[in-house]
Amino acid sequence: MTSIDVHELTKEFGSTRAVDNLTFSVRPGRVTGFLGPNGAGKSTTMRLVLGLDRPTGGTATIGGQFYATIGDPLRRVGALLDAQAAHGARTARNHLLALAVSNGLGARRVEEVLVEAGLGEVGEARIKTFSLGMRQRLGIAAALLGDPEVVMLDEPSNGLDPEGIIWIRELMKRLAREGRTVLVSSHLMNETSSFADHLVILGRGRLLADLPMQEFLDSRSRPRARVRTTDSTRLRDVLIRKGYDPVQGEDGRWTIEGAKAGEIGAIAATEGIAVLELTDEQATLEQAYLDLTADATEFASASSAHPQEA
Amino acid sequence: MSTTAVLRSEWIKMRSLRSVAGSLIAVLIVTLAVTLLAFSTVGQSEAAQAGADPVFNAFYALNFGQIAAISFGATALSAEYLNGALRISLAAVPRRSLLYAVKITVVGAPALAVGLVSSFSTFFLGQTFMGKYAIDLGEPGALRAALGGAIYLMLMALLAAGLTVVLRSAVAVLSLLIPFVLIVSFVVGDASSGVAQFLPDRAGQMVLHQNPEGSLGPWGGLAVAAVWAVAALLAGWWAVRRRDA
Repeated sequence: MTSIDVHELTKEFGSTRAVDNLTFSVRPGRVTGFLGPNGAGKSTTMRLVLGLDRPTGGTATIGGQFYATIGDPLRRVGALLDAQAAHGARTARNHLLALAVSNGLGARRVEEVLVEAGLGEVGEARIKTFSLGMRQRLGIAAALLGDPEVVMLDEPSNGLDPEGIIWIRELMKRLAREGRTVLVSSHLMNETSSFADHLVILGRGRLLADLPMQEFLDSRSRPRARVRTTDSTRLRDVLIRKGYDPVQGEDGRWTIEGAKAGEIGAIAATEGIAVLELTDEQATLEQAYLDLTADATEFASASSAHPQEA
Repeated sequence: MSTTAVLRSEWIKMRSLRSVAGSLIAVLIVTLAVTLLAFSTVGQSEAAQAGADPVFNAFYALNFGQIAAISFGATALSAEYLNGALRISLAAVPRRSLLYAVKITVVGAPALAVGLVSSFSTFFLGQTFMGKYAIDLGEPGALRAALGGAIYLMLMALLAAGLTVVLRSAVAVLSLLIPFVLIVSFVVGDASSGVAQFLPDRAGQMVLHQNPEGSLGPWGGLAVAAVWAVAALLAGWWAVRRRDA
């Protein structure tokens, strides 16, 4: 299987380090969300993987090979970097055809991806007449041309309408289910949490986290249970007796910090209290991410106190 | 990844851009339009002047065709420098030297072909207006000028193509080269000796003269123009290989 391997990758533009000694792997069979604020180095890393930029140090390989040495690379790696890069004066069909032909793919494949991307009707339209969402679809169509085992998408849901966002989400999940390696960058947390299985998080060009999404959420959230009952008074008394600190919200639900739903459920059962609703409340990806980057910011400002780090 | 596949791909890219295909066709259209205008009006009176060069006059319109040739070379390559289109191209064809060589081929070969059609058709069209001054391809230097003129148009397109890659902008190249061939050459003008004769357009146009002045000779002059074009292409090659896309 083909993974993307980034090893001690560094890229400097003049005196700024866009990518700073980055090491991580993107494995097949799951969607890896590539997170970080704008300017964190996500796009630069993707360009380095594609051999478009020359690294200052380190390596980026796909299945152990440098991208530039892959024959017919579109058949192995599909990438969407910038939907605006397609030349506006060409028709969508000609844009895709030129790409397909260079990698030994035929016109039939062009028609297939046009239809798959929902652009079947506008193949003969010039790209400059496209909305941003349609350009994204065209870029994704281009990425899918060679039926590649590795798919890299930079902010694919930019400009997509709700339908398009659902389409791209389901597409990415399907590609991962089919055993492909899928790396998707985004700065939208809710968006990412809806499709990613694994996360690689960057901040200022450095790796902040590389772990399964569930693990990330668990590690960044204190347990908290929410419960709704017909017998609020008894439940509260029992819980206080057991050492919990239940707080009732305006909607009547109780929130218990530091407790798991399982514990509360067991207590309610032994006490014979009817429970209408009981859930573990977990931090959203957004909360977990902000929690992480707050740490990172402290780390950054702490380390910049050392002159040699500046 | 085969060279043929990349050639086909680049050909599709070129002919699917109206601005690029248009400027290639404009080489012929401009040349013929100027031929028609100039020869139908002042053709014979020019030829009647003492010391007129019937061969150079016959290919007068190529002076204007070359501007379209320069535009063609510049726009064909500048399309890659719009909004990072080059990244898409390099993701499909990561072998940079191959991609560049193919791009230069799909500029050079059509420019030569259209150049040949332009130079021969301007010759024949122009001579139909020349009455008793008309010459044919048997005229000394005429056939050489027709072939050399086509090569000259190709060299100007390639010079523009190489420079466009270096400067990453057609506008920059056009505002550099067009004033150069239109003004500098006319100003430096007939001082076709000294350094001026080594300018790409002065040197390249030697081949259009029946009896070129200066030390280079017709083919020597064209060779100097070729050196300019090759230098620009090499600079472009270096830029494509070295730069981040």
